[in-house]
Amino acid sequence: MATSKNGLKIQSVLKTDVLIIGAGGAGLRCAAAICEQRPDTRVVAVTKVHSPQKSHTSAAQGGMAAVDPKDPLDKIVYHMFDTWKGSDCSADQNIIRKVCESAWDQIVWLERHGMHFSRTDEGRIAKRPFGGHMLNFGEVKAFRACYEADRTGKGIMDTVWAEALKHEVIFLNQTVAVELLMRNSRCVGAVVLMEHTGAFVAVLAKATVMATGGKTRMYQVSTNCRQNTGDGLALVLQAGLPVMDVEAVQFHPTGIVGPGILASEALRGEGGILRNAEGEPFMERYAPTAKDLAPRDLVSRCIMNEIREGRGCVHPDHGLPHVWLDLRHLPEHVHKTRIQEVCGFFRKFVGVEPQSELCPVTPTAHYQMGGAPTNEFGEVQKDPQHVVDGLYACGEFAAASLHGHNRLGTNSLLELITMGKVVGDRVVEYLRDAPEPGELPDEAGHRALERFSRHLEARGTERFAAIRDALRRLMMDKVGVFRDEKGLSEAIEEIAELKSRATQMALSSKTLVMNQELIQNWELNHLLDVSYVIAQCALARRESRGAHYREDFPDRSPEFHYHTLAYMPEFGKITLDQRPIDMSIYEAQGEHYERFAVIERKY
Amino acid sequence: MTQQYDIVLKVSRYDPDVQRAWVQDYSLKAGGILRFVDLFRKINDEQDPTLAWSSSCEHAQCGSCGMRINGRPLLTCELLVETAMQMFNTSTFSVAPLTVAPVVRDLVVDLERAYQRIHIAKPYIIAPAPPPPEGDEYRIVPKVLDRYVEATRCINCFCCATACVTQKNHLGPNAMLVNVVRMMDPRETAMKQRAGLLYGEQGLPRCRTAQACSFVCPKEIDVAHFIALAKQGAFDPVS
Repeated sequence: MATSKNGLKIQSVLKTDVLIIGAGGAGLRCAAAICEQRPDTRVVAVTKVHSPQKSHTSAAQGGMAAVDPKDPLDKIVYHMFDTWKGSDCSADQNIIRKVCESAWDQIVWLERHGMHFSRTDEGRIAKRPFGGHMLNFGEVKAFRACYEADRTGKGIMDTVWAEALKHEVIFLNQTVAVELLMRNSRCVGAVVLMEHTGAFVAVLAKATVMATGGKTRMYQVSTNCRQNTGDGLALVLQAGLPVMDVEAVQFHPTGIVGPGILASEALRGEGGILRNAEGEPFMERYAPTAKDLAPRDLVSRCIMNEIREGRGCVHPDHGLPHVWLDLRHLPEHVHKTRIQEVCGFFRKFVGVEPQSELCPVTPTAHYQMGGAPTNEFGEVQKDPQHVVDGLYACGEFAAASLHGHNRLGTNSLLELITMGKVVGDRVVEYLRDAPEPGELPDEAGHRALERFSRHLEARGTERFAAIRDALRRLMMDKVGVFRDEKGLSEAIEEIAELKSRATQMALSSKTLVMNQELIQNWELNHLLDVSYVIAQCALARRESRGAHYREDFPDRSPEFHYHTLAYMPEFGKITLDQRPIDMSIYEAQGEHYERFAVIERKY
Repeated sequence: MTQQYDIVLKVSRYDPDVQRAWVQDYSLKAGGILRFVDLFRKINDEQDPTLAWSSSCEHAQCGSCGMRINGRPLLTCELLVETAMQMFNTSTFSVAPLTVAPVVRDLVVDLERAYQRIHIAKPYIIAPAPPPPEGDEYRIVPKVLDRYVEATRCINCFCCATACVTQKNHLGPNAMLVNVVRMMDPRETAMKQRAGLLYGEQGLPRCRTAQACSFVCPKEIDVAHFIALAKQGAFDPVS
């Protein structure tokens, strides 16, 4: 077994059938699918947080899009079209079809397993409109988002977590995965660090599922939780595997000014209106049909434009520019039952009463459309033609890709449960005759232990907070809603400089037991690595597509009709590649196929 | 910018490496809109990187950052400096971990141990009712859902369990809520088993109706209301 210079070593080995890294909505939906079909499967799930129930899925608010087969107006093809159009024609059509077609089944699965959906008077699952979801190929808003008040994510998380408990999934809480274990290009598990005890443990598994979720904590204003530091992407990059479309970072239009807490699109779905400093409902000017329910990339740019042109406000406490979200005209029962949690956030965090006052909102980094590239079964790819044996990915961590360069609201929760199930099914198939993971590979843990040694032995006077804050500011300013060549080039240089400064952060304590300083230094390196790749990919994509907006190239260009792949086995050594966009619906030439061509995107 | 306040935090610390516990004072300047989690971060950034504390979502949806501030259990991500100064009429605050589980380091507790109580209460549907013949979702009209929907908002932050006057041999208010929710949920049929958990030795007989749970709940759930319903025998399958 590997031992580092200063004596760090793997203390024990745990063998299992399936290792799930990231026990959020996607990871545990996958676990439930495996255990339902193959009850004696040993599943170990690793999470950074205190308990799987604390995962960031629990913070999702608005809903899950699914076309109810009993709906007389809505059709699956409309949902597929909306997703394709929303993605700015860079989602993969095989994934769109798979997810949209299985959506309602997965809603029913959640409901049957105890999720507390909001209901109609007839007792059926209630549905609300959401941005970019429309009937008749973009004509009028659709009631398609199934929801549990404004805590839909919590509903999903509680349900899949409870199912995992029922099936006796083994949880390793407050544990971080530090290295993927590979043997002969098969993934055989991971090395993890259990923070409670400070022990490095090798988990050997026949199949490994990565579902580490979001990764946008490198932005100054972000809805992501403290733990969303891009560890999963960094792990994949370090293993020599690619990441895809990471330049596509979604800014949610309505973050609560200050902490950047999400104020769900459901607020606009229920009738909320964006207003500028003059009180004008400005979205009417930019998107005459969809108005406030235009897709997020568009609304975020409109808000930033209003602010730039002097029609924004400045918040007196936070000193940050913002616009208003008007909820005053919504009926009391909507405030009390459907948007109760979010209204509470406005009261508690900015001292505003949404029933009588305007709410200050500003775009906030929210979601990364890109991630680890997978095929339609959630198998992680090492290049567009080959997958890594034994390694799977789902949820926000993965890019299959359902979202292309812009995600529609409510499609992410949908992706968690549909693709989580898809991966679960695939893993069950794989386990049928998968070989044992074997003994611990000779080099196991070497890379991770060396990294931790470097952190423990680092000398210098650089301060963690200074580097973190500099990174967050530069990502917001130069790799944010608006981008250009000059800013991106500067960002790349500055990130590289921060990366070298980050080697000179001496630790105050060298313990391995719940050493938050050690973990945050380790995480900071991931934020820097992922930020660097985002900036490089954004620089290379000399066009505007979805959430990736280049002021120097404001139009979409057919030249860039592909997914960006990026490899960076070592910081700075970046190689870019391409993956074709799946156009199978268009190519099949079936009914409505012309809607799935590369189409103009207007709302 | 708003006014800056001089704040003193008296933080309970514990070092597992040498098994030493002590109280450490931190003095800092902070604006009124900063939250207590921001203060901890400020201490890490400017004074002492070794102070360990827990949080995740930082907007009261995950329940990772529960602590006792001047003895009162609450979520430190939603406690603003100005609110705290009004609530306790002071600018000096004691900061201590929750009491429901062993401390790992400083303000970080082993919440997994506390969660054992929830696992015992079985948050899933134990024995589902026959599904509707149409092949889709169960029908639950709002009138039925409204009776227990408040209880489903619980995030297991364990503030209620910390505040509860019965600390020994008691599953605690939030574990009781898990049972109450499923007993009121028309999809559950394992009423006898649930009643066994609810009215069993570590369940309701241990409750002394102090209603501290309702008083401290960060989600403003009237926990005691649901416990009172249970005490009236509202869910007893025999009645």
